[in-house]
Amino acid sequence: MPPAPPVPTLDRRRLLQLSGASAAVIALGIDAPAAVADPLPHREGLFSLGVASGAPRPDGAVLWTRLAPEPLAEDGHGGMPARNVAVRWEVAADEGFTRIVRRGQALAQAELAHAVHPRVEGLDPATDYWYRFVVGRQTSPIGHLRTLPAEGAAVESFSVGVVSCQAWYHGHFTAHRHLAAEEDLDLVLFVGDYIYEYGITGSNLWRQGAEVSAAHAVEVETLEQYRLRYALFKSDPHLQAVHARVPAIAVWDDHEVQNNYQGARSAYGLPDELFAHRIAVAYRAYYENMPLDAAALPEGPATDITAGIDVGSLARLTLLDSRQFRDPEPASAEEQQAEDRSILGAEQEEWADQRLVQSPATWNLLANGVVLTPISEDRTDMWDGYPAARSRLLQAMAEAGNAVMLTGDIHKHVAAELRADAADPDAQTIGVELVCTSVASDGDGAVTDGYTEDWTRHPYVKHYDGRRGYVHVRLTEQEMTSSFWIVPWIEADDTAPKELSARFVTPAGDPRLIPA
Amino acid sequence: MSPRPATVSGIVAEPALTTITLSWDSLGFDPLIDHYRIYAVAGGAAPDAPREQDLVGKTVYPRFVHQGLDPAGEERTYTVLAVSDAGRRGRPSDPVTAASQPSVTATGREIASIGVFDGRTLEHRFAPSSYARIPTTYPDAVIEYVQGTDRPAEAWPYLLPGPGDAWAGRKAYRARWTVPLPQRPAGDLDLALWLVDTTRLGGTLRVSVGGKHLADVTLPQGATRGSREGDATVPGSTLQRSYHELPVPAAMLDAGENVLELHLVEGGWVAWDAVGLFARA
Repeated sequence: MPPAPPVPTLDRRRLLQLSGASAAVIALGIDAPAAVADPLPHREGLFSLGVASGAPRPDGAVLWTRLAPEPLAEDGHGGMPARNVAVRWEVAADEGFTRIVRRGQALAQAELAHAVHPRVEGLDPATDYWYRFVVGRQTSPIGHLRTLPAEGAAVESFSVGVVSCQAWYHGHFTAHRHLAAEEDLDLVLFVGDYIYEYGITGSNLWRQGAEVSAAHAVEVETLEQYRLRYALFKSDPHLQAVHARVPAIAVWDDHEVQNNYQGARSAYGLPDELFAHRIAVAYRAYYENMPLDAAALPEGPATDITAGIDVGSLARLTLLDSRQFRDPEPASAEEQQAEDRSILGAEQEEWADQRLVQSPATWNLLANGVVLTPISEDRTDMWDGYPAARSRLLQAMAEAGNAVMLTGDIHKHVAAELRADAADPDAQTIGVELVCTSVASDGDGAVTDGYTEDWTRHPYVKHYDGRRGYVHVRLTEQEMTSSFWIVPWIEADDTAPKELSARFVTPAGDPRLIPA
Repeated sequence: MSPRPATVSGIVAEPALTTITLSWDSLGFDPLIDHYRIYAVAGGAAPDAPREQDLVGKTVYPRFVHQGLDPAGEERTYTVLAVSDAGRRGRPSDPVTAASQPSVTATGREIASIGVFDGRTLEHRFAPSSYARIPTTYPDAVIEYVQGTDRPAEAWPYLLPGPGDAWAGRKAYRARWTVPLPQRPAGDLDLALWLVDTTRLGGTLRVSVGGKHLADVTLPQGATRGSREGDATVPGSTLQRSYHELPVPAAMLDAGENVLELHLVEGGWVAWDAVGLFARA
């Protein structure tokens, strides 16, 4: 019996909120079963940016690709003509595609840089699937996904790879090479700085063997420049391998737009009404290049990248946006301490709080772009700049139990225990924070550096390593095992082996970091 | 396909020293504007259609600062058009003509200067990025420079730190510039203070001559990049140059040594392009 046709999945309420042209473009980029597009002039390498899946659910996921026969074309359109292209997709129960269970079609359009985001539904939970795209005679690389366990189902184990800070120009994505080869991996979580907006010049191009054209030498500001920047970073084969291996979920930090921006405000003196235009194109390019649900497609300078994911009864993941809604940098110590100061905004705080306190899961994982652990009051870009909001979140995390914050930003591996009151050494430990070092930002790095003492002087900080790598998190009903992997070098080439920097076990019900 | 972008309108030109700032009505977000393209030709007339060789910049903002114009003043005629997310181009705007203001560095006769008025910090001490050596070299937060004796590479740090700079001890640095004059000038002079960049803190630069207050210069918020990058003329540079030119009454000057003091009393550092004292032609 042939599989049922996929059901259009775009949220109608969301669709109706959008203006006419935008709504049509989004809808067709997700599902266009009847679209008839002009034939595409034959171009090799349509799938040069790889494939990805994301926004996983027990019954499916979003599939992604972006057609780009010339990925580094400087107009940001990847060498594609300004016309619509029908992209067929297939999902199979086997890698050889002998048992295709779902298929459909989306429309690649110039408005979205010829990216498509079809959502496949109707799959079985906790099941392996393979997917691919087809345009004319060209077939994409094959991607793999495993659907989430059914709601409330018991889960033996679930593993997440955590990565951040992909300054492509600072070195090779060796960490991604090793992550893609992890035997035990269900999901990859990007915790911010998927791209960097800085100009790439001789002074910061440390990735030996790489060259870029003059178009990359200036700071990214326009849509064509953001599109080009994503294409450059996503051209990396190891990053593509990670995306093809497992579904991706993501939060952003600042460099997806501009260094240290705060809500609607640039950190570099640009008036808000002007900066809004840059936010709008940066958020659009993020949607175009990530396997996201339609909810993440921005309307001007506003969007919603938050997401909640439940892994059976084992874990609840809550993805937070710690950039878009934050209050500006405090003008005084008094303002920094203000009770109503927020890094998430009131609405998101309430949502996150509800997800935590109502969670039925054993583990309660959060992800955001900046460090939660108290380190120093002058680190105002992190939660240190929002102490009242941190207290509120810690309280909700304590209520939820077995709480874990996953983040990045600082280009160091850090493992810390979260106390209800950081100033009180006898205060209850209510959860842990696992801070992932960078994939590439800051080049090779070293075990210790000029910042080490700032962090390790706190008794609740249990580990620090300033080299590149990723964190592997394995959850079972009994415990969480966090493995901090590093690679000794990334600037010379991508051949470095991986080394274990530290491993901790956190027992369920006793949220400490026990060296393992 | 999303509609063709509307035609850019409402262009306003603001002339300033070596720059013309254009702003126009935002075209909003539907269709999303990839960028605006700005075309400029010398003189008061534009060609019938924009030519790509006349493209002087692209911007995502409904504002564009055309920098690097001739310090003597330059007339340019501009047209602007929008490009949508789908790559469609709108029709070009009506042309707008403006002339940049002449600078005393072009119209005056140089009496004394530190550095070259060229958009770069590179000739100054510790440029382009060794700012950390400034507080250790000048622990009392006073920089002395004697015209005719000192040279920029040895005696004039590229940054003047301010109280907002934790790395420099949060001190209000003073730069004291001693300028010998053979006699009191016959007429008022002009002091040119050209900056390659400032910090996001902005600030106030207090200028005094011979111990007497001349002016408080309000510094704009800058890009906070001039501490690490020394050349604002690189295409696409995000450094935010600012230019300040102040009359100096002849009565404030004397024959012999005159001390002009630049005191950063509020805000963060300034990155010097050059400073100069000019007689009026």
